[in-house]
Amino acid sequence: MMVELFSDPGRPMTVTAPSTRAIRWPAVRPWLGIAVRLGLAAVWLFAGATKVGDLAASGRAVNAYQVMPYDVAAVIGAALPFVELALGVLLLVGLATRLAAGVSAALLVVFITGIASAWVRGLAIDCGCFGSGGQLAAGQAPTYLPEILRDLGFLVMAGFLLIWPRTPFSVDGWLAGAAPEEGEDE
Amino acid sequence: MSSRKGQKKAAQVVRAQIAREKRRTRTIITSIAAVVLLVIAGLIGWTVYSSQKSKSFTSPPNANHTGTGIVLGQGPVTIDLYEDYLCPVCKQFQDTSGPTITQLINENKVRVVYHPVAFLNRFSSTQYSTRSAAASGCAAQGARFKEFTDALFAKQPPENSAGLSDNELIDIGASVGVNRDAMSSCVRDGTYKTWTAHVTDDAAKSGVTGTPTVKVNGKELTDRSPEGIKAAVAAAGK
Repeated sequence: MMVELFSDPGRPMTVTAPSTRAIRWPAVRPWLGIAVRLGLAAVWLFAGATKVGDLAASGRAVNAYQVMPYDVAAVIGAALPFVELALGVLLLVGLATRLAAGVSAALLVVFITGIASAWVRGLAIDCGCFGSGGQLAAGQAPTYLPEILRDLGFLVMAGFLLIWPRTPFSVDGWLAGAAPEEGEDE
Repeated sequence: MSSRKGQKKAAQVVRAQIAREKRRTRTIITSIAAVVLLVIAGLIGWTVYSSQKSKSFTSPPNANHTGTGIVLGQGPVTIDLYEDYLCPVCKQFQDTSGPTITQLINENKVRVVYHPVAFLNRFSSTQYSTRSAAASGCAAQGARFKEFTDALFAKQPPENSAGLSDNELIDIGASVGVNRDAMSSCVRDGTYKTWTAHVTDDAAKSGVTGTPTVKVNGKELTDRSPEGIKAAVAAAGK
């Protein structure tokens, strides 16, 4: 769907035959890339913004996973929202996109592992992905599967940018000069 | 192949190499800049958190010796209650099991430590969890902690609202018998806000991740019904 949305407006949208796929991909990829980049930026900015107002609560959400001592969890919980915001800004402006995508992917793998381990251990917690977090009230069911699937979706987005970091309207592109350098996508 | 053509080709190779070199330097510099930014962001979080964490606190009278809760009763079995005044399930718990706990206190079977934690500040626009918990310290100062707690749960505001105002908290305090002037200055000065932070921090540290949490002699209770509490207290008292 995004492919349609962000395809080059100058190009006729009627191409449907599978044989034209190879021709469309180079034209479509930059626009899909920018959509993915901005999408992932929005995810991080939102995730960071919902936690940054109450750092102690963020620490408690990390602590609810019961994988590290409270003091370590508190520090990680306090640092995490700011790191998420910084990642969001990097992706938003498109600076060091590949590195930001790599860090995003690494964080997401940690999150997915954490949620899965909470699930396996039978903890009843909110993942604390966007704001809230901590133990759920009695009668509230955890939603681990949707949380994991959602994070996997984000992981795919990070993977896309890891493979194709160059997108339009990015600081990376601006630093490299106007001419697109094919060799850079190694 | 003429020598001129060869020179041209050589120049091209050199140019390409310089360009590659430039690209690599640029990538390294931007990567370092990005890593530095991420590290600084993390450090900012740590610094802000450490500065928010208060080192000293004033416990209200009737608090236990570690200053992590208000003690009621002197029975042999200890019940730890971790509650947030904004938490709807805590209200339910108070409604169904509160009378049982009061009865156990009166029968001198239990010593109850109330830990008024502020876990749910996110769910009010005015930090109601912290304000109400700090106000309960003021009520404890006036020796009306239990009465104030019952009154606050009876008038519990919904989540995602502004909560009760400071004036309303003072009125409730006065209505349960706390000296109005003392209650008023205590609530307005936020005398026990650092204490609330200490109680909340200690609760998280001791593994409490949600409210209400009920512990009987240190063991978390899963059945929080009146029968469950009575059974656990009876078992712990043996």
